[in-house]
Amino acid sequence: MKVFVIDLRYCNGCYNCQISCKDEHVGNDWTPYAKPQPEVGHFWCKVEYIERGTFPKVKVAYIPKLCNHCDNPPCIPACDMKAIYKRDDGLVLIDPIKCNGCKKCISACPYGVIYFNETLNIAQKCTGCAHLVDGKGPSDLKVPRCVDACPTEALKFYEEEEAKDLISKAEVLNPEYNTKPRVYYIGLPKRFITGSVYDPEDDECIEDALVTLTDMKTGEKITTRTDIFGDFWFENLKINHPYSVKIEKDGYSAIEIYNIVTEKDVNLGDIKMYKART
Amino acid sequence: MAEEKSCVKCLGLCGFSRGGDLSVVDVKDGRIIRIRPLHYDWKYAPEEIPLWEFKARGKTFRPLMKELNPPFRLIYKNVVFSPTRVKYPLKRVDWDPDGDRNPQNRGKSKFVRITWEEAINIIVKEMKRIIEKYGPCAIAIDSEGHGQTKFFHGGCHGVPAYLMKHIGGFTWITRNPDSWEGWWWGAKHVWGQEPDGWVKTPNILHDIVENTEVILCWGCDYETTNWGWGDQGWSRFGYWLSELGIKQIFICPDLNYAAAVHADKWIPIKPNTDAALQLAIAYVWITEGTYDKEFVETHCVGFEKFRDYVLGKEDGIPKTPKWAEEITGVPARIIKALARLWARKRTSIFHMSGGPYIRGPYATEPARLEVLLLAMQGVGKPGVHQFFFLSMFYSHIPVIFPMPLRTNRDYNSYFTTQAIWAGKPEVADELFDKEIKQFIPKTLLPDAILRPPISWYSHVYIPCVTECQFKKYTYPAPGCPEIRMIWKTNNCTLTCWNGGYEFAEAYRSPKIEFILAQSPWLENDCLFADIILPVTTPLEEEDYGATVVYHTQYANAFHSEKCIDPVGESKSDFEICCLIAEKLGPEIGIPDLLQKFTEGKASLKEWAMEMWDETGLSLLISLDEIKEKGYYILPLSPSWNDLKMYPPGLRKFYENPEENPLRTPSGKIEFYSERLAKNFPDDRERPPLPHFIPYGETWQESLLHEKAKRYPFLLVSNHPRWRMHAQLDHAIWLREIPTCKVKGPDGYYYEPVWINPVDAKKLGIKAGDIVKIFNDRGTVLCGAFVTERIMPGVVSVDHGARVDIISVEDRIDRGGAINLITPHEGGKNTAIMVVSGFLVGVEKVDIEELKRKYPEAFEKKYHPLVGPCYETYVLNG
Repeated sequence: MKVFVIDLRYCNGCYNCQISCKDEHVGNDWTPYAKPQPEVGHFWCKVEYIERGTFPKVKVAYIPKLCNHCDNPPCIPACDMKAIYKRDDGLVLIDPIKCNGCKKCISACPYGVIYFNETLNIAQKCTGCAHLVDGKGPSDLKVPRCVDACPTEALKFYEEEEAKDLISKAEVLNPEYNTKPRVYYIGLPKRFITGSVYDPEDDECIEDALVTLTDMKTGEKITTRTDIFGDFWFENLKINHPYSVKIEKDGYSAIEIYNIVTEKDVNLGDIKMYKART
Repeated sequence: MAEEKSCVKCLGLCGFSRGGDLSVVDVKDGRIIRIRPLHYDWKYAPEEIPLWEFKARGKTFRPLMKELNPPFRLIYKNVVFSPTRVKYPLKRVDWDPDGDRNPQNRGKSKFVRITWEEAINIIVKEMKRIIEKYGPCAIAIDSEGHGQTKFFHGGCHGVPAYLMKHIGGFTWITRNPDSWEGWWWGAKHVWGQEPDGWVKTPNILHDIVENTEVILCWGCDYETTNWGWGDQGWSRFGYWLSELGIKQIFICPDLNYAAAVHADKWIPIKPNTDAALQLAIAYVWITEGTYDKEFVETHCVGFEKFRDYVLGKEDGIPKTPKWAEEITGVPARIIKALARLWARKRTSIFHMSGGPYIRGPYATEPARLEVLLLAMQGVGKPGVHQFFFLSMFYSHIPVIFPMPLRTNRDYNSYFTTQAIWAGKPEVADELFDKEIKQFIPKTLLPDAILRPPISWYSHVYIPCVTECQFKKYTYPAPGCPEIRMIWKTNNCTLTCWNGGYEFAEAYRSPKIEFILAQSPWLENDCLFADIILPVTTPLEEEDYGATVVYHTQYANAFHSEKCIDPVGESKSDFEICCLIAEKLGPEIGIPDLLQKFTEGKASLKEWAMEMWDETGLSLLISLDEIKEKGYYILPLSPSWNDLKMYPPGLRKFYENPEENPLRTPSGKIEFYSERLAKNFPDDRERPPLPHFIPYGETWQESLLHEKAKRYPFLLVSNHPRWRMHAQLDHAIWLREIPTCKVKGPDGYYYEPVWINPVDAKKLGIKAGDIVKIFNDRGTVLCGAFVTERIMPGVVSVDHGARVDIISVEDRIDRGGAINLITPHEGGKNTAIMVVSGFLVGVEKVDIEELKRKYPEAFEKKYHPLVGPCYETYVLNG
């Protein structure tokens, strides 16, 4: 059984996956696997671009998204024509001959990865390049195009057995949909809280301040220290969750910031710390 | 019967006959099926592929067993079958060589299809007339440095120059060091490093991975600029640097694409104020005593003058962090922290080529100051270097240097190659003076046409050495005519050079009787031509070639089959020159011109045989074998990682400056240049001691200047993320990417302008709005991309978008070609180009009002996804 493992820590946002998918499927007819993709507008592999944080504490996350080739795929029962099927290797395909364009699968898929081809009147999506996997392409190309084109090995295609260790560290998108995706992600962006601490009287960044993050629901604490720029970062925090931050440094009055809710990534900005008056 | 084949292609976009990464094109029945990265083990056993690796801090870095193609290769179907392809020879509809030439309509009037025979007849007749009336130097050859990789087909790299050599000469429009102006005009005076002004020795990375603790990516985007040249190996390497625990600090106005994924810290700085930051860092080091005093004493000259300037003894202004904060927008406390970190940790500076950091007004100053700062921390000591991604990739060196000398068809790299093979940088200048009767720096072309005579210093040509910066040249050169014809294989000047509207005006001069353009795509400067000839892409050509290790995991040699038939009636640049030579020769009394031009070689293979012999490739792989296998990975030199043979960076100078002098008059790093003082005693724009110069006689592009009241934003312009300069702007699959284009409410795909949400709110601009970017030099329209990735007060537009000029007279453009409104002026004693760090105004646009004012421009036929296309410019197209 095949799986995709996408390690977002190494995704540089080059869009090779999105583009090579188009190169493979636009204008090429791989029936019975898939009919040609329209020249534009379909993204069987789509890179999502996310700006995180606020100026100047900004990062960019890219998430390539494709059909999850679910083990419990809602698209299959939704199809009246029984045009959608799961192969023994786990890939889920839409038979382009049987599909009658009813679009029920498009509504059924919670991930929104099925597209409609107006010209051919069929639903279309990522095939996992099953035609290549089956050896219908060049002799040295047996993996999906997005995987072959990835320059950093962020996108990989494995036999499930080989990837057990990776899968144990990985997540799927929206597990609450209960569709059992076969596309696994490492490093899915969560939330960060960041800030910069400085002494406004001396106009100096405060290095080596102790910063304590408290989960306001569990009371759990994590600590870090500010760097030479007075910066601190807490990464991989829970989404839409309340935290508090305490900053301490010898000779300075401590600062506490409560009720930081991680609806988005949080940049607390420049935080002034004053010398303790004795 | 179905015919299937897989062809090796080099689809690198820098040309220079130096190739790039390799791809495989799968073809079936004359159709391109797919374009994908070449796997090294396709035709070779794994043990036949030379393995290199870096080991440091207990970790290992190895190449992947495939080419790391950037997306620019994978979209090539878009490019080959682009709606912008020039399909047939075209003539401007109101250009009559026997009657009215209507030069004032260049860039405005449309084109009609003509036959190849008609086109060649017109060209030959015009060339004969011009040669006989004015002399061959009345024909100017304008070629490009960057284009598709073509070895024997010429490409955009000036193959007509090789033809004109046999006719008695020509005027050479030379390519200035456009991507590293500051290094070339500035840093060379401090530390030599001919001819570019930056360090390029192969083994710096070995030392960096071992010893460096902090990397400053100063205006550097290694996830972008290299895509044109080669592969995405730097991306992998960047992740590895982080795994080694080396911190990457990005100093730039924008969170560029490398910073977006690799930065440990982003220090935003207002465009073109880096010199103030550098001086404040020096101030911290001098006042806190944290620089390498011994190195400065033994390896440098003129430090005292610099110290006095920094401390305020020269002008009464101490260059304190607080002083710099006002100018740069970097808080004083961050400046102090950066200075202390740098003094405390072994720090190297990384550049791609320099980008906007050394392409602004007074770019000589930050370039020179950077070298001074490196000197103050003992450059050359373990972990302390300047490193250029543009130099050899991964430091590895192939067993031979596969760049051809005699069989070169790239006139732009001809001088460079000669100098490299000779091992002496001066050779380029000597050869230049011998071969070139008259030349015009590309930056000064409009001045030469519109305001002759003009004069300037230096060859303004990349491979030339510092000494030439003290030599004066004039146009017209003694005994030479003014130019009357421009023969262009380069068609990107309007959107890539300094002040495009100036060039547009020059192209319309009645003095220019004939503009001939060769191009695969109908865009940019082509639109100002009188005759346009359709050129093939590499997929339509058979070629042999080799890649020097610029940005690729390995150097390689390749044979690439022709994949498909030429699109329309296109021909290669070389074929076109042959057609012209054949007919022109007898007309001008050189009956054997074609024979001379082709050196009597009847086939591509004969040329390839000569290349194989002269480069030594024939010792490694025969032509028959390369033809069968398609590619060959060059073995590494046995000494590829021998640090004794190739010491990293300036290590030898660091260890013994007397025995290993730099190529400066003193042999040392010159804080103060006596040579500049002697030659240009009154130059306050590139003074002997580098200064922070906010504005002056030539440029006033500073927020400190009163002009900022009218144009309150500073604009930064990077090398583009989704184009290679002007190439690929029409690629449909790139244009779908949200950071590539902004689809306006009118359905037109606008070039994005990055603007901070704070500024957007103030100006009433929302994401996706059409806005105008303007200054005294004109206006371009862009689509608002509201982002936290840009500093407040700063906007960013990449250069190279295709021009879609609404009115040349009113200087307004819809394509977002930002270089139309960059400053045009060069420096007082430099012909430097300024294409970033200038003032603009930003306003929301009422597009309906523009439509009413310029109905004709808006009624043009556009391709819904690509915008301007063949049908836009060709009658009945």
